[in-house]
Amino acid sequence: MNLLIPLMVIVPILCALFLNLLHKKDRTIKTIAIILALLLPALPLLANYGLHYFGGYAPLIENPTLSNNLPSLITGTALNTFHPAITYSFQSAQKIFVFILGLVGLLAIFTSLYETRRPSGVYGYMMFMGIAAVTAILLTDDIFNLYVFFEIAALATVGIVLVSNVKGNYETALKYMILGGIAAPLFLLGIALILGVTGNVNISDIIYSLQNGLVDPKNPVLLMACGLIVFGWLYGSGLPPFHTIKSAIYSKALPSGAALIQTFSVFIFIALGIIILRIFSYLPFSQWVILGASLLAMILGITMAIVQTDIKRMIGFLAVGELGYIGIGLGLGTAFGITAGLFQAVNEVIITAFLFIGFGTVLYQTRVSDTRKLGGMLQRNPLVAFLVLIAGFAMAGVPPLNAFQSKLMLIQASITAGFPELGVIMILLSIVTFMTFMKAFHAVFLRPKPVDLELKNEDIPKATIITLLVFLVVCIIIGLFPQVVTSYLQPLATSLAGGIV
Amino acid sequence: MVIDVQITSLFTAVALIIIGIFAAAFLDNLIKKIIGLAFIGDGVNLFLIAMGYKPGGIVYIYLPGMAAEWFSQNAAYPLPFAMVLTSIVIGASTMAVMLGIIIVLYKKRGSLSAKEILGE
Amino acid sequence: MNLYDLIVKKIKDIQGEGDDAAITNMSTSSMLTAEITLISSILVALVMLRMVNNVLMFVAVLVVLMAALIAMPLMPHFKKEQNDSLASMMFYVILALAIVITLFYWGNLNV
Repeated sequence: MNLLIPLMVIVPILCALFLNLLHKKDRTIKTIAIILALLLPALPLLANYGLHYFGGYAPLIENPTLSNNLPSLITGTALNTFHPAITYSFQSAQKIFVFILGLVGLLAIFTSLYETRRPSGVYGYMMFMGIAAVTAILLTDDIFNLYVFFEIAALATVGIVLVSNVKGNYETALKYMILGGIAAPLFLLGIALILGVTGNVNISDIIYSLQNGLVDPKNPVLLMACGLIVFGWLYGSGLPPFHTIKSAIYSKALPSGAALIQTFSVFIFIALGIIILRIFSYLPFSQWVILGASLLAMILGITMAIVQTDIKRMIGFLAVGELGYIGIGLGLGTAFGITAGLFQAVNEVIITAFLFIGFGTVLYQTRVSDTRKLGGMLQRNPLVAFLVLIAGFAMAGVPPLNAFQSKLMLIQASITAGFPELGVIMILLSIVTFMTFMKAFHAVFLRPKPVDLELKNEDIPKATIITLLVFLVVCIIIGLFPQVVTSYLQPLATSLAGGIV
Repeated sequence: MVIDVQITSLFTAVALIIIGIFAAAFLDNLIKKIIGLAFIGDGVNLFLIAMGYKPGGIVYIYLPGMAAEWFSQNAAYPLPFAMVLTSIVIGASTMAVMLGIIIVLYKKRGSLSAKEILGE
Repeated sequence: MNLYDLIVKKIKDIQGEGDDAAITNMSTSSMLTAEITLISSILVALVMLRMVNNVLMFVAVLVVLMAALIAMPLMPHFKKEQNDSLASMMFYVILALAIVITLFYWGNLNV
């Protein structure tokens, strides 16, 4: 049993509680937050692959001393193989996901400590709690445990928005919670239906029951459960109809917070998407729903992004639109397609965080986010303008940056799977994404400064520049050597496509 | 007429969920919306605990002196009970955060109407 | 406004009304791009219906093309629909819930 696996969740929770206690002690918060945040990407690199059973309760089949004393009513049936404890599973795909989450979390926390006037222990608490919750969502093999951390992630998201002091944040947070108060209990209802039919909440055991005929897979109750879980997935990831509230949430948070919240959305998207594929892939209808929701997200997100005038709202809608690419990869169902989709998720997280923090420097200096009132920032910060330009190229898929590799893989996967129309739509929307970004870049950086624009703060903190440079380096490395990431994702993709657990 | 406890609970749970969705969507007062969300949570919890019902079952505490085979045949299902406790706690915390936000909004805007505060 | 009034208002103004504010070149080009992107992506997505039935695909593409050309300024409608008010978000959420449940419950007939 590898003890580092639960530590990946416990360490951020302890960090969060510790930082909350230290609120208002500025120097201490800065040093402790940075030291603890460095652990976040380090732990998944150090942990070994394997399963972790909370409480040590391995399945009976692995525990002969206990099972010898039990009646054959238990040991002679499938109950022998079922998992009695909450199981966390750490394989190669989880390693790369938790590492990227930790990296973006580290950089977001690092940026937030220097961009606010005083470092806030409460803000650090929210960010660490959110990271802990999403790490648990990625690692867990128990669907109720996933629901608990799903709710914690939603609360952390709302907390990040509430402490940001942007105008209108309380209203947006309340709207998000009201919509969540409908979607999340219905997700739990879907879990309850699965519990009622299969008697299990452990995902591997549910799949075992479905594949070995212990329950009838075409049971209408299970189909209803699939529908409700898909609905909860739509809420957690920000797919339509929740795309407007998700992009509003991104726009009402501070840039570092927004970078972290979009990371949460993308990883919840893939964690729940993988679970839906694992449990319900015997229904071809579930793949059509994933494809349909992703297509709708792409089209609605990107068309809404073009017509926005507020930069943060625009990047928020672009982030929602890019989720659609990931979903198309997952919905194609082939190993290559799923690898491409998961690779696109990793790239998308990095690029969107890069864009939020990059454009966030403009906010830091001018406190204005309306593109109609901005201009002339190129003279003020040529280095930041160059970095943001590279980020925009990355989002649109320009080689040799990372999204080029993943979008190329996605288009190839959709053509070989027999859906060239999806490839055409992806290319079209990438062009439009590029146009949207260039429009915003021109409005903010290239055109002359309007007379009435005041530059409030002086210099951009070194921390932000370092963050942007780290993102740039990661983008270039992944763009030049995509197998660094895809080699971790292939085992999971192959097992999902083959229909095996 | 024998009333089946489980089916009655399931129907009550579905009724609570539908009333809750109706309240959260159609009522204008923010506090009433939150009460509707509480109804949805309660309905789902009732549904969940009803999944563990066993007619004539005993409480799932293994006392010394019980035969293992008899216990495993007759105990009610203990898993939903643990899930519902966790779910009630989650519901309470989200409710607390929502009510806190409403207090702040009421102080700022002076009204509890969703049309004024949350509309556009 | 509450949900009922919103539904009634929506049904009444599907026809659309003119937009009177003066707009800049940048926002005009954005609206045009959005319009063209929307219509072309929907049409290309409809071509995927060829897997169900070729005739259905032709008919659907032609019908949607005609409908889009007749109701041409689609983007202002879409932009107004996806506003930030809780009532319209709630409407779409409940609509999506109903669609998802219905599709899954009856989807097993054709799966």
